[in-house]
Amino acid sequence: MTVATVEQPNFFQAKKGLFSWIFTLDHKRIGLLYLYSVGSFFIVGLLLGLLMRLELLNPGRDWIEPQTYNQVFTLHGVIMIFLFIIPSIPAVFGNIFLPLLIGTDDVAFPRLNLFSWWLYVIGALFALSTLVFGDGPADTGWTFYAPYSVRTGTDVSITVLAAFVLGFSSILTGLNFIVTIHRLRTPGMGFNQMPLFAWSLYATSWIQLLATPVIGITLMMIIAERTFGVGLFDPSIGGDPILYQHMFWIYSHPAVYIMALPAMGIVSEIIPTFAQRTIFGYKAIAYSSMAIAFIGYFVWGHHMFTSGMSGPAAIIFSILTFMVAIPTAIKVFNWVATLYKGSINIEVPLLFALAFIFNFLIGGLTGLVLGALAADVHVHDTYFVVGHFHYVMFGGTGFAFMGAMHYWFPKIWGKMYNKLWANIAFAFVFIGFNVLYFPMFIMGIMGMPRRYYDYLPEFHPLNMISTYGSWILATGIFIMIINLIVSKRKGAKVGSNPWNGITLEWQTTSPPPLHNFDKMPELPEGGPYNYPNAMNE
Amino acid sequence: MDNTHHEEHISSYAELFGTWVALILLTFMTVFISVFGSGLQTLTVAMALLIASVKATVVGLYFMHLKYDQKMYRVMMMVVMSLFTFFLIMVILDYLTR
Amino acid sequence: MNHTFTLPNSGHNFDAKASKLGMWLFLYTELLLFGGLFLVYMVYRFLNQEAFLEASYELNVWMGTVNTIILLTSSLTIAMSITALQKGDKKLSVILLWLTIAAALAFLVIKYFEWSAKFEHGLFPGMEHYDALPVGERLYFYLYFFMTGLHALHVIVGAVFILVVVKKINNGSVNQKRYSLLENSGLYWHLVDLVWIYLFPLFYLIH
Repeated sequence: MTVATVEQPNFFQAKKGLFSWIFTLDHKRIGLLYLYSVGSFFIVGLLLGLLMRLELLNPGRDWIEPQTYNQVFTLHGVIMIFLFIIPSIPAVFGNIFLPLLIGTDDVAFPRLNLFSWWLYVIGALFALSTLVFGDGPADTGWTFYAPYSVRTGTDVSITVLAAFVLGFSSILTGLNFIVTIHRLRTPGMGFNQMPLFAWSLYATSWIQLLATPVIGITLMMIIAERTFGVGLFDPSIGGDPILYQHMFWIYSHPAVYIMALPAMGIVSEIIPTFAQRTIFGYKAIAYSSMAIAFIGYFVWGHHMFTSGMSGPAAIIFSILTFMVAIPTAIKVFNWVATLYKGSINIEVPLLFALAFIFNFLIGGLTGLVLGALAADVHVHDTYFVVGHFHYVMFGGTGFAFMGAMHYWFPKIWGKMYNKLWANIAFAFVFIGFNVLYFPMFIMGIMGMPRRYYDYLPEFHPLNMISTYGSWILATGIFIMIINLIVSKRKGAKVGSNPWNGITLEWQTTSPPPLHNFDKMPELPEGGPYNYPNAMNE
Repeated sequence: MDNTHHEEHISSYAELFGTWVALILLTFMTVFISVFGSGLQTLTVAMALLIASVKATVVGLYFMHLKYDQKMYRVMMMVVMSLFTFFLIMVILDYLTR
Repeated sequence: MNHTFTLPNSGHNFDAKASKLGMWLFLYTELLLFGGLFLVYMVYRFLNQEAFLEASYELNVWMGTVNTIILLTSSLTIAMSITALQKGDKKLSVILLWLTIAAALAFLVIKYFEWSAKFEHGLFPGMEHYDALPVGERLYFYLYFFMTGLHALHVIVGAVFILVVVKKINNGSVNQKRYSLLENSGLYWHLVDLVWIYLFPLFYLIH
């Protein structure tokens, strides 16, 4: 893309100063603000996780008190779920790349976008303030199950309020993206010419919009209950704690797809670019995103099989749960089929995408074990569950996030990262991750309950392996972060399209100018992934 | 995309006023049934909810312009309502079969 | 900045359809927010049918009916205000909006009297009479205060929203050609009405 016009300043150079960042309306800068804040909280959550694993290295007390341990795993969960995973891909890469991918210069409501980020910051400050002020961080687990959350002396109200504010931020981001996709696509781009990442964001946004309010009101009730000392969920005064679980999971199960769908969108971007081949089954992938979003609403009960919910309801939820596996499997099939006969270029982003498929497959299939009513009764609330959701959340979304980081790094900063160090970091992360979490499946089957401070001696070897894995993983992430920071400063300059991609973001300069495109972006003929040299059978 | 021109439907005063009359009548009806038909118990509750739903539909279609606006708003309203109904059904099913 | 090229589909253009779509999406979230409360109501009503019936006698049907009529009428005035502005009658539009705000205030005043009557009877959660009630009735009053309170909050927000629109019509930034803000305030106000349409029978009319 040689452009004859005068070189425009890129969006970093357009304005200077702190205020030009924290009050910016530019979607790329807001995306970067999210990246820095989300990234910082990820490191905090990671350190808390390391602390937990360190405590579990040996049976009995190693470093911290049981009560501290409870607060650490709660804070780890709250930070990782509400401050990292939910906003991670949509708020960071969605903000930066959705307008670029659909060929426009901003989201539909730039001011609202900035407001969402500020809400995020305020919510985050609330969540972290419990560390310093008040009665100490909550010790309920990130689910805030009643009646314990109503009775415990720790600062649940503030943590819950934080989750409420963060939920609002998430709703507004979703609202913004839906309107952007409906109104601002470049002329000629119908829904079916949209890149798949935009599709996955569209599906995600609907979940954010239609599920989050339910948790909002539920959390408000917890706060009211604690403030007025009477309540809806405390059985001693007629409330029903299982109703709380219903309402919590009506949001929180769809929220799992808020975390997973954008990751799937990232993989759908990375794979065709590095296979230089048209994506296999474009419509199947796009519509299965919508199907996952839709079916995701109907399965919340599978979190409650052992809670005292009625048998018939449990059976129905179990059946419905298996339906979600279908669209997910369709996607995996299509990604693998895209690689077949492609001219594969093995770069770090592709490695992360492949690792995503591997991890997500394990996470997804163990999810079916948990979705099956009879099996779940056995492994419910054991380390099997912990292993499962870390495989989908971290092994899935986390890996996709890191993949996207490497995939779009040259577009955001106009530099290339050090590929050798990136490969080394990937190896550490991938190996460390599996060493850390795979033993948990075995411990779970053997019957080690989750959230316990102590364990029986027979679990000792596996716990040790798991803790060693956490060190390998942390080393890998550390190397990756250093590599990216150094490369951002000193990396070799690259052109606008280092990966030979054909989606619209590669048509503009790297870093993009403030208004994204200096001339009309050109849609590739015959669909967003129609690579010119593709071997079409 | 030029958006300055609106070719939208402008509701007439008469139509809006007619809607209001209908809503007021329905309100009187539901109060009447409740106050004077208290012997019927469950039936009155069902009637009250039915009338409320009719009122809500009227407000949506005429006051909120759903009848004349883009189809998407109507479709999504139905989707939202069906989702919510599903939530209600599944939760009450749990309590009914315990 | 010598920025020469602007995309036709720029996010910085004024787009009436986008803001209306945004408003509708927000209304869907509001519906589900109240939906969560209705869900809670349904379950506890089911578990405590007699107590809910008993407790509902404490409420004043006539005050509720008057409030329903006030809200319905205010919905009419704001809908007519939109028509008036679309037809170019700025003055009538503003008058109708003031009437809407007046209705909102009237609604809140009646609500205030209703609530203070309950307070006098000690029916607010934490008060003596309340704590002596049977479990089901306590849940009823808790939900009553929570739901009508949240609704009243929406009435206040809606009234402020309309006040802003009045200001903007007066200074001309909302006008016959560009009225989406007025339309959106109308949609929001109708939603407030919509929620009340369900709250009214569920709390006042269940005997």
